[in-house]
Amino acid sequence: MSHHTHTEFQPSSVRSMRFSAGAKSTLLVLAVIGSILTVTALLKQPARAWPNFLVNYFYFLALSLFGAFFVALQHITNAYWSVTVRRFAEGLMSYLPVALVLGVVLMFGTHHLYEWTHTEVVANDHLLHLKAPYLNMKFFVVRMILFFVIWIGLGLKMRKNSLAQDVDGDHKHTLANVRTAAVFLPLFGISFSVASFDLLMSLEPHWFSTIYGIYCFAGLVFSGFSLLAILVIYGRRQGVLTDQMVNENHIHDIGKMMFAFTVFWAYIMFSQLMLQWYANLPEETVYYIRRFNGSWWPYFWTLLIVHFAIPFFSLLPRGVKRNEKVLFGMAVFMLLAQWMDVYFLVMPVFFKDGPVFGWIELGTFAAFAGVFGLSVIRFLERVPAVPVKDPRLSQCLGHAQ
Amino acid sequence: MKGIVGIFKDPDQLLHAAEQVRDRKFKRFDAFTPFPVHGLEHAMGLKRSFLPWVTFIAGLTGLAIGTGFQIWTSAFDWPLNVGGKPFISLPAFVPIMFELTILLAGLATAGVMIITCGLPNLKAKIIDPRLTDDHFALFISSDDPLYREAEISELFKKAGANEVRMV
Repeated sequence: MSHHTHTEFQPSSVRSMRFSAGAKSTLLVLAVIGSILTVTALLKQPARAWPNFLVNYFYFLALSLFGAFFVALQHITNAYWSVTVRRFAEGLMSYLPVALVLGVVLMFGTHHLYEWTHTEVVANDHLLHLKAPYLNMKFFVVRMILFFVIWIGLGLKMRKNSLAQDVDGDHKHTLANVRTAAVFLPLFGISFSVASFDLLMSLEPHWFSTIYGIYCFAGLVFSGFSLLAILVIYGRRQGVLTDQMVNENHIHDIGKMMFAFTVFWAYIMFSQLMLQWYANLPEETVYYIRRFNGSWWPYFWTLLIVHFAIPFFSLLPRGVKRNEKVLFGMAVFMLLAQWMDVYFLVMPVFFKDGPVFGWIELGTFAAFAGVFGLSVIRFLERVPAVPVKDPRLSQCLGHAQ
Repeated sequence: MKGIVGIFKDPDQLLHAAEQVRDRKFKRFDAFTPFPVHGLEHAMGLKRSFLPWVTFIAGLTGLAIGTGFQIWTSAFDWPLNVGGKPFISLPAFVPIMFELTILLAGLATAGVMIITCGLPNLKAKIIDPRLTDDHFALFISSDDPLYREAEISELFKKAGANEVRMV
C-alpha cells in the first residue's frame, strides 16, 4: 500500500456497477412470486398479511432512508473517505418513490393494523379519545405525505447534484449539497422519529416511549451500513471498484460503523427497557409483558444474541473489519438480525403466544426484497460507480487508515 | 541512547526513508513526527501491538467483577427488597457492569501503555525542537547490529533528508 505513489486516476475508466444475471433474475423471481403470495395473503388472510406488510414496509423504507442520511452526513462533515462508496448510498434512495406508492397501499391496511382507526373503540376509550387529535386518519396521511416530501425532495436533490457533477465537475454542486444536507439532517431526525411513532409505536396506542425514534434510527444505521458493505464488497468482486477506488481502509471504516451501531442499538434498547422495567408502571410495562410472554421470551433472548452479542464479538477484532469475505458474511447476518428486530416491534401486538413464520412471512419479504433490489440495481447500472468529478475524490483514492 | 538522525521536511520523504530502513532489516529505529502520518507504522514494519488484548481481558475482568460484586452485595451479603424485584435483578446491574467494563479496560490500557513505553522519561534528549512543528525525523540507534554510520548517512541523504547528524 504505497499510497503516495499511486498511478493517475482516469475518470473515463470508471464504469457503471454490474450485477450478475443470476442476481438480477433471482430478484425478479422474488419480486414476482413474492407479490403474488403477498396479494393472495392480503386477500385471504388479511389479519396476518397486513402486519407482515408493515414489517417489510418499515424495514426497507429504513434501508432506503439510510441512503439519504448517509449522503447528507458525508456532505455536511466534508468527509473524503466515503466519496467512492457514496454512489451506492445514492442508489438506495431509488426505492423512496416506490415506498411512496407502497405507502398508498399501506393506507388500505390501516384498519387491520391500528386500533385507533376504529371509531367505536376510540369513542369508548378515554386515553385514545384524548389522543385522537393526533392519532386520526386525516392527520396520519398528511404527516406521511409531509415525510415523503422531505425525504424525496431533499434526498433526491442531493443525488441530482451529485450526478450533475459527474458531467460538469463544478464545485458548486458540492457546496449546494452541503447546504441541502444542513437542512435535511435535522428534518430527517424529526421526520424519521415521528414516522416510527406513527407507523410502529401507534400499533400500541396506549403505550409510549420517547426513545422509540432513536431506537428505530439505531436499527436504520445498523442495517444501512451492513447493506452498504455488501454492495461495496460486491462491487469489488465484480471488478467495478478497483483497489485504487476502494481499499481495505474503506472496508475497515464501514466495518467500524457496523460495529459502532451494534453497540448503539444495544445501548438504546437497554435504555428503554431498564427505565420501564424499573418504574414498573402499567401503561409502560404492557409493551414488555406482551414481548416476554409465551415463546416471545426465547425470541427476545435470540434477538439479543443475534443483534448484539454475535456482531459485537465477531466485529471486535481489527482483522475481521478489514476482511472482505468475513465482513460480507457478517453484513448479511446483521441484515437478517435487523429484520428480526422490526418483526419483534410489530408482531407481538397481533400474535400473543409467539412468533409465526410461514409462506406469508417469506412471500412478503421476498416481494419487498425483490422490488427494493431491482429499483436500486436499475439506478446503479446506469450511472458511474463512483462520483468521478467530486472535488474530494483525489483525497479518497488510496485512502490510508 | 546514541545514534544517527535524519531530518526531513516532507512526510512522504520520511515514509519512503522508513520503508528503506525497514527493508534493510534495521530493528532499533524510530520516527518522530509533529502529527500522525498515515501509513507510517506500515512503512516502519511495526507489528500489531499486544495492547488490544490487554483491553479485552481487562474489560472482561471488569464485567466479571461488576456482575459478581453486585450479586454478592444484593443477594448474599445484605439482601434488600427493592420494589418487590428479585434480589438478582440483572437489568438493574447492567449499568454498573458496563461502567466497570469500560473503567478497567480504559485504565489497564492506559497503564500498560505507559509502562511499556517506559514513561515517564524525563532524561530523554530533545533531538530537534522543530520536530514538534514542521519537521520529521528518522532515528537509528547505534545499538542496532547493522549500524554503519556512513551507509545510513548516505541512505538518509538519498531519501531527501536535508540534515543528517549524530546525536
